[in-house]
Amino acid sequence: MEIDGKEFTVDGDGFLSDPTIWNEEVATLFAKYDGIQELTEKHWAIINIIRKNWEETGMAPMIRTICQTTGIRLKEIYQLFPLGPARGACRVAGLPKPDGCV
Amino acid sequence: MNNFEEKKNKALKVLSEHEDSKLLTHLNSCVHCGLCAESCMYYLTSNDERYIPAKKVDLVASIYQRYCTFTGKYFPFLGKARELDEAAAEEMTDLLYGACTLCGRCTKHCSIGVDIGFVIKKGRQMLTEMGYTPASLQSTVNAAINSGNNMSIPESELRDTLTWLEEDLRDEVNDPDASIPLNVPNADILYTLNPREPKFFPLSISAMAKIFYAAKESWSLSTQMYDVTNYAYFTSSKSEAVTIAERLYNETVNLNAKRCVLAECGHGSRAFRWEAPNYLQKQFPFETITSVELMAEYISKGRIKLDKSINKEVVTLHDPCNLVREGGVIEPQRYVLKNAASEFVEMTPHGIDNFCCGGGGGQLAMSEYNERRMKTAEIKAEQIRKTGAKVVVTPCHNCVDQLMQIDNKFKLGVQVKTLAEIVADAIILD
Repeated sequence: MEIDGKEFTVDGDGFLSDPTIWNEEVATLFAKYDGIQELTEKHWAIINIIRKNWEETGMAPMIRTICQTTGIRLKEIYQLFPLGPARGACRVAGLPKPDGCV
Repeated sequence: MNNFEEKKNKALKVLSEHEDSKLLTHLNSCVHCGLCAESCMYYLTSNDERYIPAKKVDLVASIYQRYCTFTGKYFPFLGKARELDEAAAEEMTDLLYGACTLCGRCTKHCSIGVDIGFVIKKGRQMLTEMGYTPASLQSTVNAAINSGNNMSIPESELRDTLTWLEEDLRDEVNDPDASIPLNVPNADILYTLNPREPKFFPLSISAMAKIFYAAKESWSLSTQMYDVTNYAYFTSSKSEAVTIAERLYNETVNLNAKRCVLAECGHGSRAFRWEAPNYLQKQFPFETITSVELMAEYISKGRIKLDKSINKEVVTLHDPCNLVREGGVIEPQRYVLKNAASEFVEMTPHGIDNFCCGGGGGQLAMSEYNERRMKTAEIKAEQIRKTGAKVVVTPCHNCVDQLMQIDNKFKLGVQVKTLAEIVADAIILD
C-alpha cells in the first residue's frame, strides 16, 4: 500500500503486516488514508493507550479501557475514528486486524 | 500416499458420505438458465463470468462427477468430470470462499430451486477438510473454540465492561437499582452478545439493557457463554460448529432460562436457531428467538412505550440475509421501526430480495478478499444513497461494520445503528 509516496506492507484490510515497524509517521499517514486530515491530542491519547495495551498484553484494549484511561466519551471516540475502534483506531495504531465481526 | 492425496480423500468423503439425496439432487439439477447471474452482486459488479453462481455449483459438481459417478470414474473425458488437484482446490477457495457471501439471493432466483448456498457450503466443507480455509477466517473460529468467544475477551474484562455499562444504565434511567444481571439462574431470558459489543461497540448492550429495564424483564447474561456467533458455520466445519452451538445450548440449560434470546446477529441467529438443532440432533427444551422479535413483542404487548418523534431523521433498513431471506424474520423489524422512527423508507429491493451488504459469509473477517468485498459494496452504497435516509438500521453487528465501511468509502454521510439503539432512544419510561 502506498500513501504519500511511502510504501507499507499490509494485509488485505490495510493493517500493518509487521506491527513493530510502527511509528508516529505511520499513524499520521494511515489516518490520512481514512480521511482523518490531522491527528489531534485526543486521537493520540486513544492511539497511545491502544499501543501500550498491545505491547503489554498482545491484545487491543477493551473500549472501556480506552474511555476510562483517556476520559474521552464513547460517542466521541466513534466521531474521532469514523471506522470505529478496530478498523479505525487499531489500524492507525499499527495493530494486526482483530478477530471477529470487525 | 502423498500429503495432497490424503487431503483429497478427506474432501471426497464429503461428497460420497451423505445421509440423504439432497446433495445429489442439487448437484445434478442445474439447467444453466443463467438467471442466477443477475442475482449475484459479485457478477453484477464485475461482469466476470467465473462469479456466476451456476459456475460455482459446476465446480463442485464436476468433482462429484469425476469421483462419485460411473462415467466419471471410468470415462472422465465424456462429461465435465474434473480432477481434484491443487489447482482445482485453489480455484474453489478463490470462488467459494473469496467470491460468495452465502447471501442466498441466487437460490431464491433459481428457476428450478437449486440450493446453491448449500452446494457452496459443501464445497467449503471440502476445502476445510483439506486445510484450505482462509487463515483470517479460521483464526476467528480458533479464538471462539479456544477462549469461549470469538475475540478472546478474558472474563475479567467482560465483567469490568458490564459493570461500567451498568453504571451508565443507572444514570440513563435514573434508578440506582437498575442492573445488568449476570449468571442468574431461572430467568425468563438468557440474553447473548456479539463479542464485538463488549470489546468495541457497547452502545447496543446499553440499549438492550434499557429495553429490558423498561419492559421489567427477568433476564440475565452469562459470563461463561454469551457469544451469539458461530464462525464454524462459515467454514462448514461441522465438529467446530457443534462445539460452539453446544456451549450455548448447555449454558441455557444450566441456567434454566425459559428463552434464549439471540442478539442482533444474522449468521448467529441462523446457526443457533435454525441449524443448531440439526448440529446437536436434539429438540431444545427452551425457546430460541431473536431480539428483533422480542422488541416487536414488547411493543405489541405494550410492555415498552415509544415516542417515535424522538427519532426525527429519515431511517432506512438493511435486511441481513441470514435473518431475512434465510430465516424468514421479515416483518418484526419493520413493525419496530414504524413504531420507533418518525419516517421510515425502504430500500429497493428489500426484504427477501434485498442485496447483501457484502460482509456476509465470513467476508468481513477474510482480509484476503477485502478489495473484492468493497467492490460488491457499490450496490449497497447506491441503494442507501437512493433512499435519502440519514440513518441506516440493521439488526446484525456484522452488517453494521460493513455498512460503516461503505459509509466511509462512498461518503454517504449516514449513521449506522442497530435496531435496539433506535428503540432505546425512543423509550418513554414510566
